[in-house]
Amino acid sequence: MVNPSFYDLHVYSVPEGKNTIEEMASFSLRLGISGIAITNPSQSCQPERAQVFDDFEVFSGVEIRVDNPSRLHGMVGKYRKKTDVIVIRGGTENINRAAVENSNVDILSGFGSMKDNGLNHILARSASDNDVAIAFDLGEVVSQRGGRRVRTLSNFRKDLALVRKYDVPFILTSNAGSCYDLRAPRELIALAGLFGMTKEEAISGLSSTPECIISRNRPSKSYVFEGVEIVDSTDVFSDKGDEK
Amino acid sequence: MKVLPPTMRENKRYLAFELIAENMIGISRDDLIREIFSASGSLLGDLGSSECNIWLFAFDDNKGVISCERNHVSQTRAVMATITHVKGKRVLLHVLGVSGTVRGATKSI
Repeated sequence: MVNPSFYDLHVYSVPEGKNTIEEMASFSLRLGISGIAITNPSQSCQPERAQVFDDFEVFSGVEIRVDNPSRLHGMVGKYRKKTDVIVIRGGTENINRAAVENSNVDILSGFGSMKDNGLNHILARSASDNDVAIAFDLGEVVSQRGGRRVRTLSNFRKDLALVRKYDVPFILTSNAGSCYDLRAPRELIALAGLFGMTKEEAISGLSSTPECIISRNRPSKSYVFEGVEIVDSTDVFSDKGDEK
Repeated sequence: MKVLPPTMRENKRYLAFELIAENMIGISRDDLIREIFSASGSLLGDLGSSECNIWLFAFDDNKGVISCERNHVSQTRAVMATITHVKGKRVLLHVLGVSGTVRGATKSI
């Protein structure tokens, strides 16, 4: 089997985090991660440019923290063209709802527990329909202790059941604020195993789902808009009967 | 003392790891042991820790080998991932390789 490439699409750099992009990148590379997305909050700074180091990619991203759904849609529209990854910091019911209903949103993170307006079957179905990935923030499992960690793990367990039932895309992330918060892919897989995620699921959350998000937001030259693409005329005639 | 017959010995896995510490400071073996047991006690509890049987086999120059029960490698990795500080300094434990023998594990260091 070919070794998959692993991505962490929700990390911070200066000024939100403690380390520069270069430090985060060299640390990630050392841990065996192939790419990270710098998602600093929109109010603290401009989104970073995407960069490519030797065999490591830094994607541009933004985290949107708002408390008003109509502002959320405005912000998403503003950043969609500029960034590869748009993360919404959820928490309240109306923000979570607005995020999963906007197909321009890539990732919903920090959506809270099921008891206080967190992920439920309605949000899960919507997220699945609109291809909004939900983020399992494993940094919380790492940093918390005692009762709070118990609650986080049991929430993740419930969220995972919804993810499986409604086939919601999901990613695993360390949500690192400093380079010491980053975790190697296998460690993240082990942490996800704590709440019952299988190895295969975890690998898809670290590898194929992030790849999907990036490729969706970096369309090829022949892309016109959703569902319309310029194809080579020779391809059309060779793919007879293929409706897609 | 009689040596335990091979079939009755517990099966172990050895995890070679590197410890990346803030400002490249050296971490002492005792401090790391204390932190590992505190992390495993917190994450797995007494019962889980006893099943997992984590032990710091060797540690020198911020590289080391942790041994654990064969069927609990994933839990051991999770415990290692939850270690964030040793003596107030930020650290990161990065597993380099897993093997059934000490020699196999040290090859990856």
